[in-house]
Amino acid sequence: MPSKWKYDQQIASDPDLCAPIIAQLLDQLAIFGWSTKDSFAIHMAMEEVILNAIRHGNECRKGTFVHVTMELDDLQFSSTVSDEGTGFDPAEVPDPTDNANLDKCSGRGVMLIKHFVDEVTYNACGNSVTLSKTKQTS
Amino acid sequence: MPDLQCIEIDSIDDVSVVKLKDAKVMAPAQVETLGDELLSLVESNSGGDGPQASANVLINFENVRFFSSGAINKLIVLEKRVRANGGQIRLSNMQPEVRDLFSYTNLDQMFDILSTQAEAIESFENN
Repeated sequence: MPSKWKYDQQIASDPDLCAPIIAQLLDQLAIFGWSTKDSFAIHMAMEEVILNAIRHGNECRKGTFVHVTMELDDLQFSSTVSDEGTGFDPAEVPDPTDNANLDKCSGRGVMLIKHFVDEVTYNACGNSVTLSKTKQTS
Repeated sequence: MPDLQCIEIDSIDDVSVVKLKDAKVMAPAQVETLGDELLSLVESNSGGDGPQASANVLINFENVRFFSSGAINKLIVLEKRVRANGGQIRLSNMQPEVRDLFSYTNLDQMFDILSTQAEAIESFENN
């Protein structure tokens, strides 16, 4: 088995293309011995990141692409997902856990990404996000 | 009611019991279908010529291992519609990871989440 799995693809802005990427990722998480809990967390974060890039970043426009890179070994996961949109300021996204926002449908994905991985950083204009997670040892 | 792809519907003690069929509610088309089927349930409960089902709805998550934020949004829309019809909604039988998802997002303040379907049905009766 290779000591590290690497993924680097440009995908068209079609939401249906997310599931096959996640399926590959889940296979690799199992191969590298990541727990169900960690796999769930990475699954959740990556699905949100990729779908946000396709839907909100590129607005599903034909001819636009999302660049997805992932690296995984038996200790660490990292990924960068970039779109061709104008970006956004994550600090401006309303807190979906605030009582006033509970019944609103926006902002939950961004919050979940932050919750499920150890580090999330956005580039200056907000159209590229890098996230990482270390395997839990318990 | 036409064949449903994402949910099974039963009626127990005047509660519409909805069982989610899929382990992963994730693919965008699947999430949209789920939302449509859930709303069709509410619409069939709120009018029409047929027998009226209960306004109360229980969603059984027994089969679900992964639930995306898009799917959560569909549940929020459903909750608003159920409440507008004078009903209530309960969720039950969640796997720990899915239950935690509702805690992280504070949505356990919006939804009453019970361990078992029987407890959830009983909670309607006690209201």
